[in-house]
Amino acid sequence: MPAPQKISYRTIAPYLYSGSYISRFFSYAGLAVGVMLLLSCVQMYINIDQLLRDKNPRKNGYDFISVTKTISNENMGRDNRFSDADIEELKKQPFISDAAPMLSNQFRVKMSAGNIIPFSTDLFLESVRNEFIDTLPPSFQWHEGQEDVPIIFSADFLEMYNVFAPSQDLPQLSEKTIGAVNIVLECYATDGTSHNFRGHIVAVSDRINSVIVPQTFLEWGNKTFGNGTAQAAARVFVKTTDANSAPLQQYLTQKDYHVNKDRTKFGRIKTTLQAIVAGLGGLAVLVVLLSVLLFSFYLQLMISRSKDNLYLLLTLGYSPLWLSRTMTKKWLPLYGTIIIIALAATEFFQYMFQKNFVAGQDLLSPYLNGYVLILSGVLFLLCVLANYSLIKRQLHRL
Amino acid sequence: MKIELNNVVPKFLEKEKIAASEIWNSGHIFSKGESIQVVAPSGSGKTSLIHFLYGMRKDYSGNILFNDTKIKSLNAVKLADIRALHFSIIFQDLRLFHNFSVLNNIEIKRSLAPYHEPSKAKEMAERLGLGGKLSQKAGTCSYGEQQRIAIIRALQQPFDFILMDEPFSHLDEVNAGKAMELIEEEATARGAGIILADLQPITHFNSNKTLHL
Repeated sequence: MPAPQKISYRTIAPYLYSGSYISRFFSYAGLAVGVMLLLSCVQMYINIDQLLRDKNPRKNGYDFISVTKTISNENMGRDNRFSDADIEELKKQPFISDAAPMLSNQFRVKMSAGNIIPFSTDLFLESVRNEFIDTLPPSFQWHEGQEDVPIIFSADFLEMYNVFAPSQDLPQLSEKTIGAVNIVLECYATDGTSHNFRGHIVAVSDRINSVIVPQTFLEWGNKTFGNGTAQAAARVFVKTTDANSAPLQQYLTQKDYHVNKDRTKFGRIKTTLQAIVAGLGGLAVLVVLLSVLLFSFYLQLMISRSKDNLYLLLTLGYSPLWLSRTMTKKWLPLYGTIIIIALAATEFFQYMFQKNFVAGQDLLSPYLNGYVLILSGVLFLLCVLANYSLIKRQLHRL
Repeated sequence: MKIELNNVVPKFLEKEKIAASEIWNSGHIFSKGESIQVVAPSGSGKTSLIHFLYGMRKDYSGNILFNDTKIKSLNAVKLADIRALHFSIIFQDLRLFHNFSVLNNIEIKRSLAPYHEPSKAKEMAERLGLGGKLSQKAGTCSYGEQQRIAIIRALQQPFDFILMDEPFSHLDEVNAGKAMELIEEEATARGAGIILADLQPITHFNSNKTLHL
């Protein structure tokens, strides 16, 4: 008895109908285009997510946004401050990592810049938990009895001051020199008495659009100069992994909360772009499905035309399991090639996109995202499994 | 290795025929190495019996067991395994690939579970007078030639039993004798059993037992 030889697709190939090359070519080409379109859409979706997420000033991978209640003609007379329950609810949202109220002064504060700069104005002060401040120097501390009060000043206010300073014969100030200006904070109590503190601008913040003092100072001041009762905050600072995320946008709109539109404009652009790309992706899924369907028609035709031969092969002892596996394996290299071509084309598009259309090239990798590679593997497996189950079913029907 | 028939009754056969039969509705054991001749007139279920044994049809009551396993209960994959390695068959209607050459028809069976080298298949073809026909399409051969192709094809695999359904119906006495001789040689080489169903007793067949269906 000779050694068993390995039977392969070649052994049975002549007994199977091979069909029209043109219809097969269209199903292959359709599949390649569909897969490429789908992979490109997913990659583009990820690109948009990465590019628009990284635009905002971030601290340890978080975005910080200031939230107020929208003031409309209907609710103007009501209390539009945040209750403790409102803040707790904000904290509970999965897309919000933390939230802290911005405390404001409940007493009158007047700021003057001493004799060097003849400038004086009524001022508001706010405080927030230190971890919400982007530029926090170690000197930003205050204890009762301390005459010096450290201040963190909004970069926007400094810019505004520098705009109108020349017309008022005031000196323009840089971020560094502003720290050297001696500021006098005059705090007035409700009974008319006042106390002067020396203020120092210890940092300038891009994030917080306000004049920030240590929380200990403001709490003490409100107790000492104000009426002493705790007041709810009119605005809340929110810490989130992505200020542009769609669920956050939806939540804020639903609660009628107001945020700085500029800070979340990328969110709106991103939502629109991602919707377009998702629509295209849906179309790509349709193309892939149609191609697989076209190929499955070809397989059905092939099996139905080869029905007599296949039935005789089964009668002679060829195993239906072996036949299904062998016929499926025959298409593996082809499907592999189609997926690799689609991947290569998608990589080419990503490379060209990163090189030619993205301003800050370090923001985006020129290579495909891992999810795209995984998706291509999943598509390959799906095609092979769809073929296998179809062939198996058809053979069982014989 | 044995085939066991326990009260096998075809669902479609008349009661009188079943009552007159030595096989239907009774018990038989065919052991490996035995040569059984089944003789019956047309319409008494010869082809059905061969198909029941080969697992191609299940329209019968009772049981047929191969090595204590019910043939009826085997799935397509296990059945394929039995057909490739344990049961060989010569169909009454031959079942050849008509658009393929004589050699292709033999090789497609030999490739599955080769018992012989390809040269042996050609030698058999020579012996049965098909030497010059190997590259001819099977469909263009005469019925007698096609019957010999089916016989040679059946002898390419290992088997414990060879099932034959009127295998010499288109052959003259001389060619039938040559073919039977070859089949018996091959069965002996494998220690296999022969189950041959025909209208009349085959004179060239040295059977151990003859049963009337």
